[in-house]
Amino acid sequence: MSAEPILQINELKTHFHTERGRVTPVDGVSLEVGRGEIVGIVGESGCGKSATAQSVLRLFDEKRLASYEGEIRFGGRDLLGLTPKQMRGVRGNEISMIFQDPLSSLNPVYTIGGQIVETLRLHRPIGRKEAAAKAIELLRLTGIPAPERRAREYPHQLSGGMRQRVMIAIALACEPRLLIADEPTTALDVTIQAQILELIQDLNRRLGMSVMLITHDLGVVAETCSRVVVMYLGQVVESGDVRDVFKAPLHPYTIGLMKAVPRLDGDRKQELPDVPGSVPPLHQIPQGCRFAPRCAFADDKCRSAMPELAALPGSDTRVRCWHAGRIAGTED
Amino acid sequence: MPLLDTNTPAAFDSDDARLRLKRENRKLFARRFVANKSAVIGSALIALIAVVSLFAPWISGRDPYGLDVVNRLKPPSSAFPFGTDNFGRDLLTRVVYGTRMSAEVGFAVAFASSLIGLVIGLYAGYIKWLDQILMRVMDGLFAFPAVLLAIAMMAALGPSVGNLIVCLTIVFVPSIARIVRSSALVSKEQTYIEAMHALGASRNRIIWKHIMPGALSPLIVQGSFVFAEAIIVEAALSFLGAGIPAPTPSLGNLLSDGKLFIYNSSWMTIFPGLALVLVVLAMNLFGDGLRDLLDPHARRAGKKR
Repeated sequence: MSAEPILQINELKTHFHTERGRVTPVDGVSLEVGRGEIVGIVGESGCGKSATAQSVLRLFDEKRLASYEGEIRFGGRDLLGLTPKQMRGVRGNEISMIFQDPLSSLNPVYTIGGQIVETLRLHRPIGRKEAAAKAIELLRLTGIPAPERRAREYPHQLSGGMRQRVMIAIALACEPRLLIADEPTTALDVTIQAQILELIQDLNRRLGMSVMLITHDLGVVAETCSRVVVMYLGQVVESGDVRDVFKAPLHPYTIGLMKAVPRLDGDRKQELPDVPGSVPPLHQIPQGCRFAPRCAFADDKCRSAMPELAALPGSDTRVRCWHAGRIAGTED
Repeated sequence: MPLLDTNTPAAFDSDDARLRLKRENRKLFARRFVANKSAVIGSALIALIAVVSLFAPWISGRDPYGLDVVNRLKPPSSAFPFGTDNFGRDLLTRVVYGTRMSAEVGFAVAFASSLIGLVIGLYAGYIKWLDQILMRVMDGLFAFPAVLLAIAMMAALGPSVGNLIVCLTIVFVPSIARIVRSSALVSKEQTYIEAMHALGASRNRIIWKHIMPGALSPLIVQGSFVFAEAIIVEAALSFLGAGIPAPTPSLGNLLSDGKLFIYNSSWMTIFPGLALVLVVLAMNLFGDGLRDLLDPHARRAGKKR
């Protein structure tokens, strides 16, 4: 990782003000994405992965009553301090985002090409002709066959995988420095998943574009990311190099997630272990360590006090657990 | 179905292919339109009314204000197909001009309230804090019966055609705004709207380019119903003397004139009444037909029956 990260989130808190009171889906998240790096963010549904990603682009500003605390440093600025107009100049231009469901991410009433042209012309002072040529080039870049023809088609004429490629083409239109991919492969079937991930990796290498990859699929993280951030209930519980975390996970939640992945050499008759219980709703956050009610290691200390996210001595992995040392086997 | 061929020129917005697609779509729409009886009958009637209104001076050749005291209250005859009124004015001429006046008011009201309702509905649907304000105002307007609200405003502004159009527009804006707002609320939640937002599109761009098209078909349908309703309310107001001032023929004024003579000269009531029924029926049939054509869900439900 190079010296200065492209995106650095410090103690970010995102509050939603709802009719039932204030909830905080992102509660003190700190993470960074280095230049040209792919960082995976994993966790179950409702862990605040998407909320974190959408906070980076401040997508909640209009949709709901939201307020932010902390700092999101990108390209030497704090994104939380930008005016709405400055923020529009960042979205789709310096940071792009692709969504989980490519089937509904494209407007059904405009052609594919038209939608790429629109994005280009939002941020670049170029004419229609030039933008159209660039659009075809982008479609070709994302591996869409016969891009001239595809550009004229409407979203319903394309398959899911094709549409996700189009979404990527749109996201790349203005050559962003950071791509946020929010479960880009969840709605696609497995062979297409692999192709899309390969495409993202390829673009990452060729264009030097950093990627923040949100997923709940640990296999995807292992294959594509260099670093991983595990989130639980709006907090980072473990973060570090992919190889380190996968070889020796330190947080009970990470361990649970790993065990829940089926293994080729595993016993097929045995039931797959899962993480017991489910993610509690945001207005019922447990005291102390948030994972304690579902954790096999939990004791009284866990139930009363929240551990800090910290690295164990001699390790680069940061973990938020009182018992990390015991789990790592360096103490008992 | 040769919607696309494989060797088209490089520029993707080739007019050729786009035109062909448009032609296909138009053909398809025309076929569905012809199959829809109420749309066909409604639009035929509207065409008839439009022709009559446009060519009013040539149809009867008489002056709608021309008094002819000798021929007072004459029953329908070959000289006066609809008879004459208590001042001897030719009723056919007055019905034709009255229909024209009513249609003009109806169209102006439908157009103005659609435009204003569209703007209010879109912004209320997309911007949450505005929604609270705008829709409470709309609810307030909605709480009054249409005729009552119109009478109150007419009393305040004074009777004239212009004021009538203004009043009726205010009366009908809420119903349009509601329809547009509900459509905007649905579109707003679509991922592609969020995607546009994430790509840096401004609020106005999202509203007008990406949300507005989805609201157009319900708007057009509701607009045609407002057209019909505005004509009814206009007639009611004129009948009560709070609408278009007296000598100007409008369907409501004619009915009002006829009510004194309803026992002896019923034609003074029958013909304007029939004209009113015809105009409103035409608009409603047309609106129903359009709804079936433009809303895929209504179409499917209609087939099942």
